[in-house]
Parts: sequence; C-alpha cells; structure tokens
Amino acid sequence: SKKQTWMKKQTMEHYQSWIGKIISSDKDLVALVFYGTEESKNPRNSFKHVYVYHDLSEPGAKRVQEVDALRGEKGAKLAAETIGSGETSLGDALWCCANLYSDIKLRLSHKRLMIFTCRDEPHGGDSVKDRQARTKASDLKETGVVIDLMHLMKPGGFDISLFFCDIVSPPEDESELGLQLQPSDKLEDLLKRVRAKELKKRALARLNLCLGEGINVAVGIYATAVAARKPGSIKLYRETNEPVRSKTRTFHTQTGSLLLPSEIKKAQYYGGKEIVMERDEVDAIKKFDDPGLFLIGFKPMEKLKLHHHIRPAVFLYPEEDEVKGSSCLFSALLKKCSERNVFALCRFISRRNYPPRFVALLPQNEELDEGKVQITPPGFNVIYLPFADDFRTLDPPQFPSASQTQVDKMKEIVSKLRFKYRSEGFENPVIQQHFRNLEALALDMMAPEEIEDLIMPKVDQIDQRLGPLVQEFKDLVYPAYYNPESKPAAKRKTGQSGAEKKPKVELTEDELKAHVQNNTLVKLTVPVLKDACKQFGVRTTGTKKQELIDALIARLRS
Amino acid sequence: MDVGLTMSNSAPGEESSFELAKKVIQKFVQRQVFSETKIELALVLFGTDSTDNPLSQDGQYQNIRVHRHLRIPDCELLIEIENQVQPESKEGDWLDALVVCMDLLHTETKGKKYDCLNIALLTDLNTQTNEESLEVIINNLTQSGITMQFFLPFPVEEDKEGQGDSERRDPGHPGTGKGLSREQKKNMELVKEMMLSLDVEDGLDEIHTFRNAIEELCMFKRVERRPVAWPCQLTIGSSLSIRIVGYKAVTDEKPKKMWITVDAQSHQKDDVKRETVYCLDDDNETEVQKDDIIQGFRYGSDIVPFSKVDQEQMKYKHDGKCFAVLGFTKQSAIHRHQFMGSQILKIFAARDDEHAGVALSALIRALNELQMVAIVRYAYNRTSNPQVGAAFPCIKQDSECLMYVQLPFMEDLRHFTFPSLENKKFTPSDAQLSAVDSLIDSMMLVEEDENGEQRDLFKPHRIPNPAFQRHFQCLHHRAVSPGTPLPPIEPWLKAALDRPEVITERCQDPLDVLKRKFPLTEVEKKKKLKTSAQIFGKESEESEAKKVKEDEAEEYNLANIAEAPVIVFISLFGCGDPRVLPVCQQLTHRIEQLLSNKNTQYYMKSITCIQAFREQSVKLANAEHYNSYLQSLKGSIPNRGLEVFWELLVQDGLTLISKDEVEGSTVSKAEANQFLVAEEQKEEAAPAPVEDTGDVDDLVSVQCLFLTCLYFYSNTCLCNCCDSNGVKTISCVSTWGVCDVLSSQI
Repeated sequence: SKKQTWMKKQTMEHYQSWIGKIISSDKDLVALVFYGTEESKNPRNSFKHVYVYHDLSEPGAKRVQEVDALRGEKGAKLAAETIGSGETSLGDALWCCANLYSDIKLRLSHKRLMIFTCRDEPHGGDSVKDRQARTKASDLKETGVVIDLMHLMKPGGFDISLFFCDIVSPPEDESELGLQLQPSDKLEDLLKRVRAKELKKRALARLNLCLGEGINVAVGIYATAVAARKPGSIKLYRETNEPVRSKTRTFHTQTGSLLLPSEIKKAQYYGGKEIVMERDEVDAIKKFDDPGLFLIGFKPMEKLKLHHHIRPAVFLYPEEDEVKGSSCLFSALLKKCSERNVFALCRFISRRNYPPRFVALLPQNEELDEGKVQITPPGFNVIYLPFADDFRTLDPPQFPSASQTQVDKMKEIVSKLRFKYRSEGFENPVIQQHFRNLEALALDMMAPEEIEDLIMPKVDQIDQRLGPLVQEFKDLVYPAYYNPESKPAAKRKTGQSGAEKKPKVELTEDELKAHVQNNTLVKLTVPVLKDACKQFGVRTTGTKKQELIDALIARLRS
Repeated sequence: MDVGLTMSNSAPGEESSFELAKKVIQKFVQRQVFSETKIELALVLFGTDSTDNPLSQDGQYQNIRVHRHLRIPDCELLIEIENQVQPESKEGDWLDALVVCMDLLHTETKGKKYDCLNIALLTDLNTQTNEESLEVIINNLTQSGITMQFFLPFPVEEDKEGQGDSERRDPGHPGTGKGLSREQKKNMELVKEMMLSLDVEDGLDEIHTFRNAIEELCMFKRVERRPVAWPCQLTIGSSLSIRIVGYKAVTDEKPKKMWITVDAQSHQKDDVKRETVYCLDDDNETEVQKDDIIQGFRYGSDIVPFSKVDQEQMKYKHDGKCFAVLGFTKQSAIHRHQFMGSQILKIFAARDDEHAGVALSALIRALNELQMVAIVRYAYNRTSNPQVGAAFPCIKQDSECLMYVQLPFMEDLRHFTFPSLENKKFTPSDAQLSAVDSLIDSMMLVEEDENGEQRDLFKPHRIPNPAFQRHFQCLHHRAVSPGTPLPPIEPWLKAALDRPEVITERCQDPLDVLKRKFPLTEVEKKKKLKTSAQIFGKESEESEAKKVKEDEAEEYNLANIAEAPVIVFISLFGCGDPRVLPVCQQLTHRIEQLLSNKNTQYYMKSITCIQAFREQSVKLANAEHYNSYLQSLKGSIPNRGLEVFWELLVQDGLTLISKDEVEGSTVSKAEANQFLVAEEQKEEAAPAPVEDTGDVDDLVSVQCLFLTCLYFYSNTCLCNCCDSNGVKTISCVSTWGVCDVLSSQI
C-alpha cells in the first residue's frame, strides 16, 4: 500500500548497506525474500505473496546493482511493477526461507534470518496467521537459524511485545552473556557500510603455558591487531579473465631435469666460503624446543620499557577443552598479576622450528560498558621483547634543553590541540581507496567514491585553534633569520652535477683477483662493483652489495 | 700465539695452555668472520720448529713463523687454525715475536686507512727473553700507536699496586701464584712494566686469562647495523615546523643473509633454477605466458579484473615524507598492546641545528610535563604507505628525543569477545589465590639487595638473539669440520635462556603447592573421531535436515541414499576388476537389506540395484553372478513374503540373462522368459504380515558400513570420474578410498 512505500524505501536502504558488506565477508550466502507482495515467486511456487528476489547464494556485483535499482523514486516504481504489495503471511515467508536453507547442499556454519519491517502487527490481529508464523519461527529456530528483527521506527513506536517477541531468537546462552546488542544498535551497525575484511575469531596456536614441571595450562593465542593489507590478488588470463593456476618447479639449469627436494641443498656464503647444509638441517638449526610458553618469573610493571617493542602483541586466553582446569589457574594468575601490578616473563616458542623469543604477559581485566557489552576481554596481552641484537647504537645529537618559558608556551599549544584518541578512529586510506576502486570497477561506476583521509592533519582547524600561539612560540625559540623550512645549506650541491662526477674507477682483472684473494671486495663501493660485474660479464640478479660480491667471487674463482 | 714446548704442559685433567689459547683465537676469528667486519688480521706463531719471518737473519728472530699476513679473516683461516696450528717443540722469545708483529703491522698497513692497531699476545711467558730490547719496544709501540693485549694462563698479581682484588684471583686458574717458574715471574714483571708504561689507562686491565677470555668471546658478536638518518620536518599546523632527524632505535632484526638454494652435488647455486608457470584450469593445463596475466580481486562472488597500471593510477597517493602532528592526547589513551609495526623510531632535532634542538626540547618537555603524546601522520617517503602513530616524550640524562611507534588503523583491529572468566566454574578459591600469590613472591626477578639497590636477575634485552648464536655456531662447525653432524646447542646459551637457578630453587615449593591446589587434566585428543566426523559429517547434517522436513521430503532422501551403491557398483564392476565377486556379494547383500524393509520405496531401490546389476553383467558378458543370485532370490520369495516385490521385478522384465545376451550364460531365452512366468502362477500365496518399516537413520548407518567394506577391497577410488580403469593415483584417494565426488554423492 502507499503507506508502505516509505517503509520499503527505508528497508531497501538497509538491505543495500548490508549487502555492501560484501567486502567484509565475501563467502557468505545471502538471499532476499519479500513478503506481503502481490506477485509470487518461489522455488515450487507453493507460497502466495512471497517473492524470492535473490536466491540463497554468494552475492556478486550484479546483485548489488539489482538492489541499487530498487532504490529511489525509480526503484519504487520498479518495485511496484515487479513485486507489488498484497496480503501478508509471515508464516509462509518463514516457511519459504526454511526451504531455501534446506535446498542448500553446503554445510552452513550458521544461519541468520533478518526480518526488516516497520509493522509490529503484520497480520493485523489475524490470530491464525500469527500462530502459523510462530510455529514456523520455532521450527526454524530449532534447526539452528537465528532470527533477528531489524525493525524500523514507525509513528507511535514499534511494540515488539505485540508479536515479534515470539518470533525472534532469545539472547544467546549465559556464557555469551551481554553480547546481544539492542535492536536499534543493530540497525546502526548495519548502516555503517563497513569496508574491512571481517575476520573470524580463530586461534593462531593452541599450546601450553608451563609454570613448572607438570603444570601446564592450555592457552590459545589470538591476534587482536594485525596490520590489514589489501586482499590478495588473483591471477587472471588476460583474454578470458579466467583464473589461472601457478606451478612452481625447480630444475637443473644444465640438464633441465626437475630436481627433487633431495637434490637440493641450502648454502650461505661467509668468509670466502660456501657453507652448505641439508634442508632439514636448516630447519633443525632453528629448533630449540617444542612450541609453548615457559614461565621464567615475574617483574613489576614499570620494568616493561615503552621502547621494548618489536612486533604487535597477541592475546592469550585459556583453552578449557584441551586441559581441564586451565581456566581456573589462568584466572587466578590473571587476578593476582593484575592486583600486584606485575607481568609474567615467559620464553615463547610460537611454532614448530621457531627460535624462542621472550615475552611479557600483561594482565588485562574484562571491561564492560553500560550496556554490558564487552569492551576488553579478560586475558593476557603478550608483548614481544627485544634481544640485544634488536637495539641499534645511536649517537644522539646533544642540544641545550628548552627553558621553562619556552616549554610553557609549547604546553599552551599542546593543550589547544587536545583530542580524545580512539584506536579505531583512523581508517587506512590506502585500503579504503582500494576497496572503493574495486567497487567502482565492479559496479561500473563512473568514478570511485571519495575517501576521507583521516590521517591528514586538519591544517586549517589547527591554525585557527592555535591563532597567535605559533608566532609567539617561534619568537621564543627561533631567531628572526632562521627558517626551519629551508634545507640546510650544506646539502645543496652547486655546480653541474653529473659532469663533475668522480672519474670512473676501473679495476683490472689482477686487482680484482687480489681483492678476492684478500677478501677486500667489501671495501669497494657498489658502483665500482657493478662496473666490475659489467666488465667481466657477470650477470647478477640482485643489486645488494653482498650479492654483487658473491657473484664476482663465484666468477673469479671458477 | 705461543705454540712452544711449555704451552702443552698441563695439570692432569686440565686443558693445556695451548688448547686454551687456541680456543681464544678461534672464538675471536669466528666472531670476525660471521659479523663480516672489515677488521684485518694476521697470525704470528712463535716457539715453532721452523722459522719464517722477514726479520730472521743471522740466527736472530728464530722459531717465529708468520702464519698469515694481514687480511680480512675468512673460513680458510678458521680451518687452518683448527688443523694446522698444533703444539710444537721449540722455545720462542715473546719479545722477539712482538717485534715481528710490529714490523708486520708497519709494513702491511702501508697505504691503508685504519682506526687502530692492536697486538694480542697469547703465551705462558715460560721462555727466556732478551729484556734489553724492552725499552725500544715500548717506545716503538707508543710511537706507532699500537695497543697491546696479553692473554695468559694465570692472572696478573696486582698486590704490589696495593689494589689487590681478591675476586680476580680465581682459584681455578692453574699455575697461579707460587706455581710460577722463575722465567714466568721475570717475564711477568716485564709485561707489567710494558703495560704500565704504555699510554693507556689501567694498562693491567688488558691482561686477561685464557678462561675469562673464552667466556667473554663465546657469544657471537651481535649483528651491527649502521643507523641511517631520516631527515624530515615535524609540523604542527601550516606554519610551525621543526627540523628533525629520525633513527630506527629498536627493530626486529632479521638475519643478514638468506639461505640460497644450491645443487646437492655441485653446490652451485647457478645450477638450480626455480620457475613459476601459469596455466589455465582446463584439462590440458594450457600454459599461459606471464605477460598475458592480469590481476583480479574478489568482489563477492565476482572477480574484478584490475590491471597493475590501473591500480597504480587509481591508488591512494600522497605528498611523501612527513611527520605531521594531528593532535595531542593523554598517554594513558594509548594502549601498550596496540603498538603496531616492528620498530621504534627515535626522533632528534636535526644535527648542528641548535634552534631546532631548543624547539624540539620544548615540545618534548611540554609533553612530558603534561603526560601526553603527539598523534602524528608518518610517511617514510612517497612510495611507502602513510601510518598513524604516537610520539612519546623520552628524557634521558644526556639526551632528549621523541619515540615514535605505529598505532593501529581501524581495519587492523579485531574486536574478539571472549567469555567472561567471572564464571562460577572457574573462580579460584582463596586457597588457590594464595598459592598463586606465593608463587609470584618466589619468582620475582627484580629484588632489592642489602643496599636498597634494585637487581634484575633476568634481562632479555641483554641476551643475544639465540637464533643468530645457534646459526653461527652451526655454520662455523660446518665450515671447519664438514661431513660431521651439527653440534648440540652450546650449554651457556641454554643456560642463558632458562630460569635463573636461584629462582628455580626458590619456586620449587610454591610450585608443588600450586600443583596440588589446581588439578589439571589433559583432555584426550579425539583426532581419530574427527576424521570420521569429517567423512560422515555430510550425512549427519543431512539427517538433521531431514528431521526438519520429514513429511515432505522422505521420498527424496531415500532415493538419494540408495543411489550410492549402484554408482559404486557400476564403476567397480565396469572395470572388469578381479574384485567383482566380492562387490557382487556386497551388492546382493545390500539388496537383501533393502528387501528386509517391506516398503514399496525400498522395493524400488532394490529393483534399481538389480537392474544395474543386470545391465553391467550383460555389458561385461558375465552372467554367472547375476543369474545365480536371481535364482536364489526367486527361491526365497515365498518364505519372505516378498511377492509384491517380485511382481515389480516381473513388470520390469528383469529376468535371467540368456545365451542370446551373453554367450557364457547357461540359460536359454525360453528359460529366461519362463523364469518370471513360473512365478506368476504362485500369485495367490498368502501375503506375509507387514513388518516394521525400519528407520531412515538405520539406513544411513548401513550405508557407512557398506562404504567401509568397499574400502577394504580397494585402496582406490571407485567413482566414475576417476581413472578409466578405476585405479587412480594415490592423490585422488582419500583416507576412505573414495574421492570427494563420490562421497558427496553418497
């Protein structure tokens, strides 16, 4: 009916944004079913007024376009023509959905049915139809389908208790308590057109945290922050755009025969000698112990230095399924570490044939927000600690410290530019741009949607907020003639560059041989080495110094 | 190095001075080789049987051999030291040897640039010396700026200087104190005189014992990398900028060299080539040229072609190098566990720019006083991706800097939720908590000593990366003694990675208590079960689905299930395989099972099976199995009350296979026709009482059994799509002897 046009428009908006999640989980199967339609279209045409617009399958670009077509004025007209509106029977619609699920030959990990509506009494009080819908809903729920209500606001409010409370799935069991979002939140969640790959919670490894002889706590390692990259590309054949497979093989350059793994060894070049090892020896060298965490001891929290950082942290949570009792001991450890403000220092071997690293286990208590939604989960954050080799010796330049007046002025500047940092506040412009480009290509859009580069300083705003403070600070620290933007004079090269380049140093073969003999090739510069390679017809794949040296040595020794 | 007669002397059960000195040299050279320093090294031996040095003339400078001239040390040298440096039987004057070394350094460093010259002398000082030359030598050393190091089997006695350090006098050192010979005592005085008169502070500190030296040298040198400066400008808004320079301060250091692949025989890397080819996913695996490949990306179920050129053109572009402040925030808002990337940058003011120094200092101090950080946009250069990060103030006694660390983007964060541990099942009791408490007490690695100073028992950042240590140990071993298995991990390294001994002792009791208080039982792994679950997962899912739509779909499911044996049968039978007989038996067994359910649907399946049996038998001209089964079946019809079924069989004309169809058959066409007719006459037989129709689920389990049996007969895949003779390469055969196609059909 006309009254519903507005609602239809709204619903489409939501569905559209949801299908936009195509990027976040592209393996999901999605179907779109309209109910209360004039026309009927479903697999066996056994239901009237149920229109299966999209069958249950992976959504692609075509579908996104089809849904887009239903939007706006034009879309409403199209919808009126194709599906129309008629009698409503939610029970039939649910039954039809049940059929869609059961017609799928794949194993589904979870099934979710979302009802978009703005009518809290879809059958207008027809108790037979209500009952039928309830029965079908409970049938669906029994087969593991989660039914969510995505209701829209309507004048007079949407009263769930009238009917839908019996249809939707109850909140999940006790263990997942507090994770259920409010319906309105759910909608908001949907409206966010998320362009990030959604990732399943999956343990990187399950291993033991060994406190001492025979005291093993089973834990799972989870990556909670991993640098997101552009999703991997698929290689396609230019002519047909069909995916190609790649095969890699190793063969002998002279005989051309394929080499078996046993016919290959590994080598490194040191001190003028090729040191050769078997392939399994290369692995064996890296092996110190079996994977696991071994407790060394505890340290007060302030002993963890800020700059002891070499890679992103991982998260530790007990695995009761592997060792019974793990959760209890883990929980006790967590509680005490947190209370006493200490961290546990452990030796950590994350995988087979991986050398050990030392890690700090930082306790993290569970935090919930007002809505009982978990903000931080309980467990240990695992901070990787550097070894002596990971530090670089720096020669810090020495300068006089700023005076208190100067510092105070800067403090004013800092205070003016305060903001509340939230870790999820910045999107990666590189990835966002990539997704939008992809979207534009897939949907034949004229140009990709604009992105907002959130990590670009808002210069105008900053300038405005600071006002005269900048000049005041500059007057305090910089003399009048000083211009920090100019490059240091020494760096500017005068005269014609190129023509005045150093004369080429050409090496004779004898000289080169002497260098090889004395192992003094390292003292030569890369350009000289490159020239030498050219001169003696040595073909090199790399441009690194060591590679050039290796190539030259190989040539001159032979 | 002294290799003379007395060097081989040793107390029983102890290593001789020679052995120890050799180890010192080995360790030292090893460090140089694997850290690839540019230090050049010569080796002069004295006390040798032969004489070979440029100064030897007229009986002077005898028994001194220049083993190696000044060069960068290499593996050759390591091997030579291992094999060629052996104890010899003469005596050499250590002062003479020193002169030879000085001469060598003098002549062989001509035309070279160098930082320093050093002579290390390893000897037991047990030789007669010509002490007259001492003064000249000392003068020469001072003039040419050569520093000296002595390595002796015993520690130097410092008592005379009045600063005797009792700890230094390790009782473990042989030949300490009174054990010294007259020569040694005399020489010791000379050494002291020399070291004290050289223009070095604490000259005596450069006199080492062999044992201490070995301990200190056992670590491979850490991989040194020259810090590379990154000059940039820190900007706040459009008009405030400070010239800065950044350095990588901490980073996950990777081994410098990669393993290269070489041929097993020739050990040449040029003999091995790795190549990647691309092919279409068709039957011929048509190869495609690399130039004909373009990139595509997944967009839902579609793959969107996106050429590299287009990607380059459409990708995010920025202005390059930058260190721009976005704003400032509280330090507490930055979570330690959300540090990203693999490095810490230290940002200083540009060198030689005092104004920048002051400006940056003001920022660092302001941040420090406010306990805040700067949130910045950082881009290394134009081609690298920009980051968001935090710049922390860092004030040390002699320097101030900002420490930059990358922070996550929204896309990097995974908001996993975990069940709360505040669960009655897991809440530890007070007794359990106090057990953990006392464990923490006993295992505190930081403690205060008597003077109130903190002592850290375990500092990971002081430990060299064990991966590198082990790597070089093995490389050294392979270089020096090829053909022998790799050595075990060195004990000192093992110890360095382990719990400090004090802690191990202290935590023993608390651990025992903990063990009693917290029962931990390993849950048995169900690996075996998992595999079968995978195999039959489909069926169990199906049966679940069946319950949902029981009424409407039963027929469909039955049809599905009974199809399988026929397919299996056809393909196996079709091969003319010797296993035909067992398979026939299986099939007939299956038919019998189907027949035990007196239900038309099951009858239909049996008919299908018999039909397939017949067709295949005719095809293969093997009537024997089929005919004998059908005859026995016919005989059992009355007893089993299967008349209805027989009727169906007759309708379909599934009679015996006659001679006309298969030559080997013993049945004539007339007999075959008669076979069915004869039965028709007995039509009036009383129908048997209808038995329980059985359960669908039973059928499924029979199905599994059947498959298992089949697997027994063949280790090969039985489906049609595999190799024509039914024997497919192992790769196709899953654990259960069926390929995916077949198992999905089932």
